[in-house]
Amino acid sequence: MRRTFRLTTYGYLFPGLFFMGIFTFIPVFMSAYLSLFKWNINNPEPHFTWFSNYIEVFKAPLFWLVLRNNLIYAFTTIPLSMSLALFLAILINQKMGWIRSLYRGSLFYPTMIPMVAAAMLWVWIFNPGLGIFNYYLGFLGFPKIEWLYDMRYALMGIIIMSIWKNFGYYMLIFLAGLQGIPSHYYEAAAIEGATGWKQFRYITFPMLAPATLFVFIVAIISSFQVFDQVFVMTQGGPGDRTNVLVFYIYQHAFRFWDLGMGSTLTTLFILGLLVAIWLVFRVIGRRVYYEV
Amino acid sequence: MRKVILILTVFFFIAGLISASETWAQKEKGKPKLLRLTFYYPVGVAGPLARVIGEMTDKFNKENEGRVEVVPVYSGDYDPTMQKVQTAIMAGNPPDIFMVEISELPTLLAMNAVLPLDDYIKKVEKGYWEDFFAPFRENAVIGGKIYGVPFQRSTPVLYWNKEAFKATGLDPEKPPKTWDELKDYATKLTVKDKQWGVTISGGWNDWLFEAFVRQNGSFLISPDGLKANFDSKEAIEALDFWVELKHRLKVGPPHSTWGSTPPDFVGGRTAMLYHSTGILTFLKRSAKFDFGVTFMPQKKTFGAAVGGANLMIAKKIPKERQEAAWKYIEWMSNVKNTAEWSVASGYVAVRNSAYDDPVMKEHMSKNPEYLVARDQLKFANGKMMAKNFQKVREILKRQLDDSAAGNIVPAEAMKIAQKEIQAVIK
Repeated sequence: MRRTFRLTTYGYLFPGLFFMGIFTFIPVFMSAYLSLFKWNINNPEPHFTWFSNYIEVFKAPLFWLVLRNNLIYAFTTIPLSMSLALFLAILINQKMGWIRSLYRGSLFYPTMIPMVAAAMLWVWIFNPGLGIFNYYLGFLGFPKIEWLYDMRYALMGIIIMSIWKNFGYYMLIFLAGLQGIPSHYYEAAAIEGATGWKQFRYITFPMLAPATLFVFIVAIISSFQVFDQVFVMTQGGPGDRTNVLVFYIYQHAFRFWDLGMGSTLTTLFILGLLVAIWLVFRVIGRRVYYEV
Repeated sequence: MRKVILILTVFFFIAGLISASETWAQKEKGKPKLLRLTFYYPVGVAGPLARVIGEMTDKFNKENEGRVEVVPVYSGDYDPTMQKVQTAIMAGNPPDIFMVEISELPTLLAMNAVLPLDDYIKKVEKGYWEDFFAPFRENAVIGGKIYGVPFQRSTPVLYWNKEAFKATGLDPEKPPKTWDELKDYATKLTVKDKQWGVTISGGWNDWLFEAFVRQNGSFLISPDGLKANFDSKEAIEALDFWVELKHRLKVGPPHSTWGSTPPDFVGGRTAMLYHSTGILTFLKRSAKFDFGVTFMPQKKTFGAAVGGANLMIAKKIPKERQEAAWKYIEWMSNVKNTAEWSVASGYVAVRNSAYDDPVMKEHMSKNPEYLVARDQLKFANGKMMAKNFQKVREILKRQLDDSAAGNIVPAEAMKIAQKEIQAVIK
């Protein structure tokens, strides 16, 4: 009896595993294997070179610039979009009738637009002469900024756009989490005399921890996967100041046709991401309280 | 009963399928074989040009009905097209015909992917090959063999806003002729936070930079594609001139993108613009003011590197497909079609005799500004080309961008470019 149960279990798992294997696991191991080869336009036949690709990656100054760009992107977009999402989720969790749906809809709107379309839109929003971003900044008395043209501001432009694009999704998850918190906690707290901030600190925040952890992990992954907006808005320029890891991989694999280096970078990328997520689970995951 | 019906239904369904496929197979046997060719092509500039290629190809397909059918596949602008062609070649399933950016030829040759066309060209009417403008031919030839036929070709030119000139007190009919005049005019035309004097477009700034080096009497890569020449005195001077305009005098934006500068010009954000001739049709349609087109100003000489894409045939396809592909290329590059394509797109017509075509003549008499790019060809050269050109471009652009931001001095930047580029093209 037990045996047949197992067989059906694996039977049901098989299609999923099969396709995951073909499209995810095998390619991951293949690229780890290929990362040990020189394979590019100068070497049309791949030949084995141990870890020379890895050494080359670490010796390239551009790699460190790209890594730095991506870290700046991660360390700004993650906290900003998460806190914005949490703040707005709490706001629209208030009971205020039809206006709530209106707010919820309009705040979630950016998330629904396809990334490439949104990026095209922001190319115009950021246009130094005609764009509305500078227009509004002008009202506030800021000098005109050549957003995507200027080395100092291009990455900031990508960051602003990405926060606008991503916070809605996080907000929705926070909102779902908030609605799962039983209201009698708040009632009890109110009777005991706990104010808004205290309610947030001792009820909302801890009860929301599983949602926060989830959002945090998703945000980490998406901040290292950033590509579409860079591809559309800046192509990594000017002067590689908006070049990020996935774009860098793309350049090597598909533009320079350097498959060995592309595989090396991909492997490093996956390892880095796994380590980051493992760290998050170790440090934060254990403190998360799951209400059973 | 229900079971019987079900079995019968399935039986007849399968029997029907088999007989249908048999009659279909017989039908196919009777006909001469139809060759269906794929054609990957880019459109390097804004405009509904994909439609024009589609219409021209339809005409070809109708003329060759039942024998050859070309399926044009729009594959993005130049870089994505090259990626798609490369990927298809590596996968062993190349498009039969493709049009890629001219500097990619050495890379494609290193991949053993392009068919030499000399034998086909010999069979066409006499003077066919010589009829193409000489600078356009340069990028199709390596080691004495011809690998492509010029088609979608351009040069960079200078556009100027006549109304902005008037407003500044400059003669609206006299664009700058020399680098010094350019600097002088750009300074006068600059209105802080409102209008740049001159925009040298980013994105393909490597191409524009090559033009400046040509104007200063030098080149960036030797014609055989093997020797880099980026740290010459002339190249450093050219870059220093850019840095002067973009950084020291601040009369032009230090960086920009290829797609956003034409709207900048139309929007009055810049008074002069260096860009491809390919955007002329867009500007004519969109600009609300009078503007002019002229040669890029000279230093020692007028000069430009030609640009665009050539038509090529894949090497690793059967002979009959190659022959059919050549038929298409020959047809696309006949005098009438080169003229038609030029009129529809704004690209330079690639053949001398296309300018005698009646449709072309009429178009040119109404729109003489389209002739500027052709006339500039007298001073133009082939574009630099080398193996790993995508990498060359990235290296050069990084140095150009960093110099324009004032992060590095031109001599130092060009020294780095020289070292890195020589290492990838060897």
